[in-house]
Amino acid sequence: MVELKNVSFRYGAEEVEDKYENSLCEINLTVSKGEFLLLTGPSGCGKTTILRLINGLIPQFYHGDVTGAVLVDGVNISGRELYENALLVGTVFQNPRTQFYNVDTTCELAFGCENQGVSETEIYSRIDSTVAHFQMKDLMERNIFHLSDGEKQKIACASVDVAGTEIILLDEPSANLDHKSTLMLRELIKKWKDAGKTIIAAEHRIAYLWDLIDRAVILREGRIIRELKGEEKDTVTIDRLKKMGLRTTIMEDPSQIKFPMIKDGDQIISIRDFRFSYRGAERAVIDIPELSIAEGEITAIVGKNGAGKTSLLNCICGLEKRCKGTLVYKGKFYSRRDRKKLVFMVMQDTGNQLFTESVLDEVLISLPKGTSDEKGRAMQILKDLDLDGFTDRHPQSLSGGQKQRLAIACAIASGREILLLDEPTSGLDYAHMEETAQLMKNLRKKGTTILVVTHDSELIHNCCGRILSV
Amino acid sequence: MNNENKLKGRDLINVGIYSAIYFVIMMAVAMLGMIPIFLPLLSVIVPILGGIPFMLFLTKVKKPGMIFIMAMIMGIMMLITGMGPWPLLTCAVAGIIAELVVRSGQYKSVAKSILAYGFFSMWIWGNYLPLFTDYEGYFAQRESYGQAYIDALQKLMPLWMAPVLLIACFVCGIAGGFLGRVLLKKHFEKAGIV
Amino acid sequence: MKYSSESAQEKRRGFLDPRTKIALTVCMAVFVLGGLGGTVMEPVKNALSVLPFLLLLIEKQWNRFLRGFMMLAIGYGLLFLMPHLQGTLQFVALMCGGILTRFVVTVVMGEYLVGTTSVSEFISAMERLHMPQEITIPMSVMFRLFPTIGAEWKSIRRAMGMRGISLGGVRAGQLLEYQMVPMMTSSVRIGEELSASALTRGLGAPVKRTNICRIGFRIQDILLLFVCIVTVVLWIMSLCGVALWNN
Repeated sequence: MVELKNVSFRYGAEEVEDKYENSLCEINLTVSKGEFLLLTGPSGCGKTTILRLINGLIPQFYHGDVTGAVLVDGVNISGRELYENALLVGTVFQNPRTQFYNVDTTCELAFGCENQGVSETEIYSRIDSTVAHFQMKDLMERNIFHLSDGEKQKIACASVDVAGTEIILLDEPSANLDHKSTLMLRELIKKWKDAGKTIIAAEHRIAYLWDLIDRAVILREGRIIRELKGEEKDTVTIDRLKKMGLRTTIMEDPSQIKFPMIKDGDQIISIRDFRFSYRGAERAVIDIPELSIAEGEITAIVGKNGAGKTSLLNCICGLEKRCKGTLVYKGKFYSRRDRKKLVFMVMQDTGNQLFTESVLDEVLISLPKGTSDEKGRAMQILKDLDLDGFTDRHPQSLSGGQKQRLAIACAIASGREILLLDEPTSGLDYAHMEETAQLMKNLRKKGTTILVVTHDSELIHNCCGRILSV
Repeated sequence: MNNENKLKGRDLINVGIYSAIYFVIMMAVAMLGMIPIFLPLLSVIVPILGGIPFMLFLTKVKKPGMIFIMAMIMGIMMLITGMGPWPLLTCAVAGIIAELVVRSGQYKSVAKSILAYGFFSMWIWGNYLPLFTDYEGYFAQRESYGQAYIDALQKLMPLWMAPVLLIACFVCGIAGGFLGRVLLKKHFEKAGIV
Repeated sequence: MKYSSESAQEKRRGFLDPRTKIALTVCMAVFVLGGLGGTVMEPVKNALSVLPFLLLLIEKQWNRFLRGFMMLAIGYGLLFLMPHLQGTLQFVALMCGGILTRFVVTVVMGEYLVGTTSVSEFISAMERLHMPQEITIPMSVMFRLFPTIGAEWKSIRRAMGMRGISLGGVRAGQLLEYQMVPMMTSSVRIGEELSASALTRGLGAPVKRTNICRIGFRIQDILLLFVCIVTVVLWIMSLCGVALWNN
């Protein structure tokens, strides 16, 4: 069904900073009809690049040098227009927030067919059968902007289903999803598998589909280093996978992890009278008369998509003007305005909190006024976070993980004692997740209190000591 | 038109992206224009700030037609938000001139792209046109308000303001073009989105 | 009950066809805002001016109706106050009043058009008006991105507050730059991802696109289109020197 023959690829200069990152080297891969193949490996190993070769985004959208042949359904797809490939291959992407084209859900489902000029009656009947199959009547005729990330991803899957392609590609579809939504995604994928579709998934979080796949291909630095199937796949140990830079194959609901919220002897940070609702909404997203958080510890905040976890962080940070309430830290009362100087949040879209033209400058503006030897201090902080090689780079040109570290560097520079992180490990491989965990542990040793919103059970086991379910 | 120069899906989406940013900036500024004293100022602020997305947009323009389409979209947006059909007209003219200027620079010349943005900005003038068309007739209708009204309105929007505003759009467009280039060099090129 | 997307689409159909709304908007812009036809057409213009307010009421758009009504009230209020004021104040009242009363009708009509038309309805109408893909694709991308750009803007403003960059804070002079740069960067990145996804779903294929959105002319559309035609006919008659009314 899909065949890669001796394919090598390197991105063009304009696409990525580091040309060798994500490139491919002499890949040979055959996927037969009805097979479910998993591509996995550390970040930058080239798994997404393979998907882009199959759906034609390379070389039509992302430019670079391709050698070898990519055959889909027996046809060499290089040189074919993207709309021709759209009839053969459907793709679900990583980010639920950027992959929908329409504002309302019904039109989104129809979009692929409308582009191909399929008749209206045919589209209606295809939508109806997908809606029945995926049991998603309640999501129809809705504004996509009002859906949770999990629901958005369901719409993305459904729109691929309506288009009805034989080959389905999944590009880290679970990266932003909570436990429950991931299970939902698993169910949808299972339906495709049962219907005999050919599925190729690129994923870090392999646990939710490990038992569904027929074969796992493990990549590293653009080469296939390992293939697992049959018994070998079923019996492989987590430690062996870890050595290959992979995540666990065991799925665990983070809200079921039995950690205490506070332990006896913990110093307490207390939050009082936090109430917040969106403008015009009747129900309060957050309504907390009193809540205790352990000082100097790492607390994980877990709960399903749309439960108000990010809103809670915003309120603690003092960013929600309509949320009053106080925070008591080391015996002092902090109002909303005061909290802005006490708490720092590393947001999910880290790019939105970096403003200047160089990494060094970014840290410099965070240092309190009157710091002696500003530059030396800034360099020290950057060195501690492994960013000293990037001082002149533009912050927006860094990778996701580097941006995150830079934001943390700013938090350290500004001397904030409470650090909030919003899903810091979504889409990270094992090594990067461990790096983030290590960084958080180091900060904890220096006395920083950390709250982290996460769906990542591995991260929680790795570094969190307390857990808070929302 | 040969196949190389035909606009593809990606080009059209790019037009949409930059039109959206340009329009949002314009609307944010137009909120100021709700206070009528600032109305003439729109022809100064919009061209200057709009230069930032527009100069970035021009780095993606390699084929004829994209600038003209963006201009027409602005015209249509003005039409449906109730500013009348005049912007559609000025958009068409400004769009064609800007298109030709960029084309004469083979879609590469920096000087030509700044000049083109100056011409492009002149479409904004269309928003003022209803205040000048039927100038006499408009005052005739409102005689009931007395001579003071007519005097005052003539003071705010005297006929000679029409060409002044048009020139302001062009000059500020050039200034906006320079601003856009500065930010392009300082940020966007280094950030890797060009 | 079994879900049927066709009947669901039919149920959501708007009161007016978007094309009727566009025709009305243009008609008002030309005659009321642009002053075409002069004094002779005054009664027709007054009749037209009432329409957008009426339509907002029919579609239960209370907030928009109130906003339009407030604009009108403030405008006429200022003009009414004007003779009793002195100097600069009189001048300001005049200007504000004059411009408000002049633009209010078309702005309210625009509010009606924007507030009661879904993006898909609008694009469907554009396609039926034989607008080429070169216009409809960028416009649909634009409508899709507006809420996103708004959200990014908000998130950036918040992040600035947290970083202490504000008027009177660190580097106040570069406020605008710091706001624009991340906004543009993230909007462009989101746009790129959006393109990739749309293109893999066949956007831009050289076939006649279909559209499942239900639009079409009904009795109310025909009635309002008739109003537009009558206005134009009356204007042509007045141009030809026919006395419209005896006064």
